[in-house]
Amino acid sequence: MTTLHVLNASPSNAAQLSSCLRLMSAGDGLMLCGEAVQALRDGSAAAQQLLGGERAYQLYALEEDVLARGIDAAALSVTLVDYPAFVALCVDYARVNSWT
Amino acid sequence: MKFVISVLSSSNAPSTRRALRFAQAVLAAGHDIVRVFFYQDGVLTASNNLVVAQDQQDIAKQWQAFIAEHELDAVVCIAAALRRGVLDHSEAQRYQRDTVNLAEGYQLSGLGQLHDALQQADRFISFGGE
Amino acid sequence: MAKSVLLISRHAPWAGSDAGEALDIALAAGAFDLPLSILFMDDGVLQLLEQQLPRMLEQKDLSANLQALPMFGIEQLYVAQQCLNLRGLGDSCLAIAAERLDDQHIQQLLRQYDYVVTL
Repeated sequence: MTTLHVLNASPSNAAQLSSCLRLMSAGDGLMLCGEAVQALRDGSAAAQQLLGGERAYQLYALEEDVLARGIDAAALSVTLVDYPAFVALCVDYARVNSWT
Repeated sequence: MKFVISVLSSSNAPSTRRALRFAQAVLAAGHDIVRVFFYQDGVLTASNNLVVAQDQQDIAKQWQAFIAEHELDAVVCIAAALRRGVLDHSEAQRYQRDTVNLAEGYQLSGLGQLHDALQQADRFISFGGE
Repeated sequence: MAKSVLLISRHAPWAGSDAGEALDIALAAGAFDLPLSILFMDDGVLQLLEQQLPRMLEQKDLSANLQALPMFGIEQLYVAQQCLNLRGLGDSCLAIAAERLDDQHIQQLLRQYDYVVTL
């Protein structure tokens, strides 16, 4: 039973990303929205965390947040989603764990 | 699928707008929303006393309209609401406060309503923080 | 069969309302006899420490609520060992009995519940 983890805090302010990466299982999803999309900035420490390791999870980001911040997410294989796709992800994964 | 959505921030937080857009997409996709549960600072989204600048989105008003349009069960945690100063008529009388500021369409109730909704639903998602 | 909830409590005891409001969710589940377990992680592990004096901050002592959990039927408490270690508390005695889990066991724990609620 897989989990979609949803993060929204800036990677520089909060422990969300590092903590989340530690408790994710293979097959889980990681959805970045709000300030959490800053982790997609190429060359950032947070992007290194996302790139590092075997990455047994699927990475998603809320498209409006990526576009709003002018982030070029090409370096990381991230699926940009709109709200209908976000809902569909919540259906596909067995549970959603939102971090605040 | 049946969703329970929890709102944990005031209407000024980006997460509360995100919660609304998500909720709209849930219904547009043909799913159901068992309950929207407002907890922590989310109770402030249920205030009828907010004044939003003309050039800004009034997310609290939009939430209220969405709830009314779809006749959703919108529950505001009573303990969280009282400690943040959001009161309905009955609580204002009980505690002898001057202001009734729980917006129309919302009900004050306990955390039992959150658990009741979880037992009925298939998916839970919360929107809080920024 | 009732759906189960894993509550993840991540905030320090008096750093705002989060710790108390997370605990309230647990107590409500207990009052309705619903299956709920709590995992303390990140700063949430600090809720379990001994010898804290909330009265210095004129704050309510949450440990009374934590100690009441078994009376409400909430008996499964877990704490992230790695989070204790990161805070120099790896070997500390905890005021509340909680099973220490490493990251791998926490990953397994999450998969056992119908819902995960993180506050």
